[in-house]
Amino acid sequence: MNTTHQQSWTGELLADWLRRGKDFAVLWVVAKVFAFSVALFASLMLKRRMSHDNGIAARGTVRILDNPAIPLHRFFLPERTFPCRIRHATATFLDDAVKGIRSMSIKFSDDHLESPFDLQMNTGERSLFWSAASFLQFARLRKQKWGVEYRDYYRKYPDGLSGAIEALRENPESFSDLRYYCKTPFLYIGEDHTLRYAKYRVVPAKMGTRETGILQSPDPLEIPNQRVAAHNPNGRNYLKYEYRDRLEKGSVNYLIQIQLRTAAADEDPEIFNNMKPWDEEIHPWHDLAEIEITEAYDWVESCKTTFHVGNMPETLGAIPAKSIHDYNSLNYMRAHSAIAHKARLLNYRLFGYPPEIPDNDNRNWSDWEKPHRILNRSYDLPPKN
Amino acid sequence: MSGKHLTHDNDQPAPYGDPDTVHSIYRECIEETKPVPTRERTFLAPRLKGIHHLDIGYSKVVTASPGMILDNLYNFYDGVKDTLHEWWLRLCPRPTAITGTDFRGSSIVGRTTYAGRHDHDKPIHHLRVELWGRTWWLGWRRLAEGYSGFDGRFELPYDLRAARSSAIRKIRAEISQTTYRFDRHGNRSRSFSLAVALPIKKSDLVGMRYDLRDIQIELWCYRPDCYIPRVKIDDLQHEAPEKYVEGRNEAITDQFIPVELIKLKHVTMLRADPNALTIEEIQADYPPNLTTCIEARLPGYSRSDEFFGERMMNGMNALTFEPIDGEEHRYRVVNWGYQGYDHNNVYAFPTTEMDFEILPGDHAPRPLQITITGALSAFEHDPDQKRTFYPTDGERWLQAKRVARSVGGLISEVDDHFARTHVNVEQYAIAANRNLRLNPVTWLLLPHLKEVSLIDHTADRMLISQEAGYIPRASALTEKGLKHRVRDALGMMNWKGYRPMPVINDHHYYARAENLFWDITYEYISEFFEHNAADIRAYWYEIFAMSEDLVSHSVPAFDREAHLRGLEGRAYEVASRRLNYWTTRFDHQPQMPTGSYGGEPRALSPITQAKDFAQADPDDWENLKEMCCYAIHHATFLHSWVNEHQHDDIGEVLYSCLGLRFGEHPDGVMHPESDHRIAPDPLRATQMLWWSNLLSRTEYGAITKNPDGDVNPRFGELLKAHEAEFRSYGVLVDNIESRTNI
Repeated sequence: MNTTHQQSWTGELLADWLRRGKDFAVLWVVAKVFAFSVALFASLMLKRRMSHDNGIAARGTVRILDNPAIPLHRFFLPERTFPCRIRHATATFLDDAVKGIRSMSIKFSDDHLESPFDLQMNTGERSLFWSAASFLQFARLRKQKWGVEYRDYYRKYPDGLSGAIEALRENPESFSDLRYYCKTPFLYIGEDHTLRYAKYRVVPAKMGTRETGILQSPDPLEIPNQRVAAHNPNGRNYLKYEYRDRLEKGSVNYLIQIQLRTAAADEDPEIFNNMKPWDEEIHPWHDLAEIEITEAYDWVESCKTTFHVGNMPETLGAIPAKSIHDYNSLNYMRAHSAIAHKARLLNYRLFGYPPEIPDNDNRNWSDWEKPHRILNRSYDLPPKN
Repeated sequence: MSGKHLTHDNDQPAPYGDPDTVHSIYRECIEETKPVPTRERTFLAPRLKGIHHLDIGYSKVVTASPGMILDNLYNFYDGVKDTLHEWWLRLCPRPTAITGTDFRGSSIVGRTTYAGRHDHDKPIHHLRVELWGRTWWLGWRRLAEGYSGFDGRFELPYDLRAARSSAIRKIRAEISQTTYRFDRHGNRSRSFSLAVALPIKKSDLVGMRYDLRDIQIELWCYRPDCYIPRVKIDDLQHEAPEKYVEGRNEAITDQFIPVELIKLKHVTMLRADPNALTIEEIQADYPPNLTTCIEARLPGYSRSDEFFGERMMNGMNALTFEPIDGEEHRYRVVNWGYQGYDHNNVYAFPTTEMDFEILPGDHAPRPLQITITGALSAFEHDPDQKRTFYPTDGERWLQAKRVARSVGGLISEVDDHFARTHVNVEQYAIAANRNLRLNPVTWLLLPHLKEVSLIDHTADRMLISQEAGYIPRASALTEKGLKHRVRDALGMMNWKGYRPMPVINDHHYYARAENLFWDITYEYISEFFEHNAADIRAYWYEIFAMSEDLVSHSVPAFDREAHLRGLEGRAYEVASRRLNYWTTRFDHQPQMPTGSYGGEPRALSPITQAKDFAQADPDDWENLKEMCCYAIHHATFLHSWVNEHQHDDIGEVLYSCLGLRFGEHPDGVMHPESDHRIAPDPLRATQMLWWSNLLSRTEYGAITKNPDGDVNPRFGELLKAHEAEFRSYGVLVDNIESRTNI
């Protein structure tokens, strides 16, 4: 009897191990194939990032705050200061005036690639996808045409739609007044060696700054339509111009905040779900660091500036993922995307940088286009008789 | 149900011999003319595929030998296919257990709504929704199950790992109607009839919510173009909301083929030569009915006053006798004719008023006079002419009785049969099928309301249509007149306050049987409500929704004032008398509060106006019982009665038909039976006999036999307990059908 039980137990363990092995193998293959495909077909051939091509980089400093509410971590030592580089962008379209997701990425170094700590964030507390599998669906169902995209995706996945409603911004006044969330949690193993999970967000340093661009009474059927309205006076680069102008007048300050929760042995996987924000009553946001941005970079440097989720200390890194349905698989895929970054930088080096986005009437557009060149050729008219 | 025995008055003369002999002949004829037993099927026997293949002309019957051989081959193929299908179902059973262990984080969501222009955004509540996975080796895995909510929305959690298992080849969501069956011990089981199956790409399941969006289902939609509440059926074969059970089609094939072949032979002969057959020859080809049987053994008795009174009281007509003020034991009956309704000028359909003497005790009514208002010949079309006939008028009296029988036959067919049972029951069937699913009233009510919509759809073509229907071509009423009349009748019918016909004397077997059946039905329902009270209350929303559908789709209430407004003189008088007729005939109670919709009073009263039982009016519980009793009563007893007596009372062309022609004589229809110019022409005659056989001799689905196992056996037990009493009224409980399906 005991032997039978033992055999059964062993069999189940073996089956579970095999399942897990298969799940992880699928995840690994998917991540690699996806990264390689992006590297080959988007980055190397088309100079494209995954989505956020339309952006502006800037530099400044980041200072870690002395906040006793945050367990001590050797990387986030109080008063530690880093040079930093940020990049704001509008997702997908090469047009700042579309109804779109805006992003902020931070490097704790003033280098276009290397850094001890990178954060990539988007507007909205919820995301549009929640796992590698759902991200692949998201990518497959984009079907963009003339500024309308993800219609099929939103029809199938109402959570994706509600995430979009929360994340899209329409005619924000500035990149600087938006709130950016790093929705998928990361590890946080402090000096006390307690396993915790952390989420980050960036808010304007000035308290009470009104966030602009939030959709008012959004019509779910209209969410796929991200087109620039006919009466919209904003140009294709208005947010980048505004940010550059703002920096010329003075610094722009942000606050990095962190939300922490202690890991449990029987953790509910839903806590890793980026569609489900943690309860702020139980897991409040704590001020982690101050950012002061002082100078905007030009287009070329903005293009070069690249962020990678792998740029993190091990104790602050991505949470290991088990399958493509694991909520942490998103960061796993991001971690495998280094090849795509390198491919894009290689393209720049070999074939030059993409052209700056022209201020023309080619709205709702998401492909590179070169502005008309001034030919500056002269010719003589034949003399009149 | 069978016929009733006669009791002869001691104070009446007995011109047909000893009353006991007359009685025994009457009984024997009832026995002899009962429906034929199921015939044996042979390899080369003609085939009828279903009720909707019937036609008053050429029904779709396979009669030629090559066709029968091919049909047999097809049936063999069909049988093999069914056997293989059953074997396949057994080989790939659908498990009841749900596969998976972790149901957090992933779910299927959606909303079930009606389809179509008028209903497209209206939610369908409490539909069964299941998520199924099919494995590579063709097994089934149940991934999720549940029901849509009041708003039609559903959310079914499933195990993502189980759904994305590599063992699963494809996934689909199934939306089903819930039906119930009983075994012989009364144990109930559920079954689901698939309404929609939606394939889902396995790769689309990536966790969180997957939205099936609005699932539009054409489920028991109301016809938008109809004058009365009817179900929308575009294609009876493929798009009807329900199907006849197999037994129903088999029963009609087995029982009706011989009659169908007779009619086919007649139609073929008469199409070639309209004078190829006489009415006598036609009549002789069909199985004998009660009157021909009696007439063969007691000549003249079927035309006697005694028999006339008996049939008016306890026959197909089962007339409503109104006491005449100031005259003891005197009663009057009005059968309203064509006045006020569109009609043709070929057939007579006058209003007949009959006075009877009905003595207390076991006495049949004795006709005293018949007053006929309206045209009786082709030469006088004055609708107001009024003539009265008395028993002393000799031949005229016999002719007047024949006219009264024929008018009564048409009225029974249109008012009592088609309007009161068929379309009246259909409105309850639609509302119940649209709304009842989880409430226990579902398994109380639905078995009695099934198939009525199908047979009504067939009746539209075979009975009502001006081009192809029997009544507009064999009686005075046109299709327009018929529809107007049916609408008026429905406007007078309400479940609230309905009571069975009052019993006049001991001989009033119809009323006594109806009252007994009503009491048993009410007892059965009360018992049922007591046992299922908690669930009936819990799913009260379904009752509310059913009530809303019933009221909002019912015809406008028959507003007496509105109908009489603006009329003067003779028009006022006719309209007023017509209203009186309807009020009396259907026991209409104008003071009864009814519902309203679109600012217009409706014929039906609401059952409840509360979505939740906690907020319901105290009377609502009783209302629901009353409505159930009414619907079951009409679908079963009333329909069985009027249907099964058709063969007795309109199964002999010269005795009674649905329309006497004016003929060519100045006296018109007041002429002897031997004048065949006033009888239906041979084609109509054979069609009429075909009809009466079809309606009375193709029984299927008695409550006590419960062949489909859908009726609670308790109902049959209660009826069986009163079998002897029913039999004393001439009713066989084993012949009371559980539903209106023919």
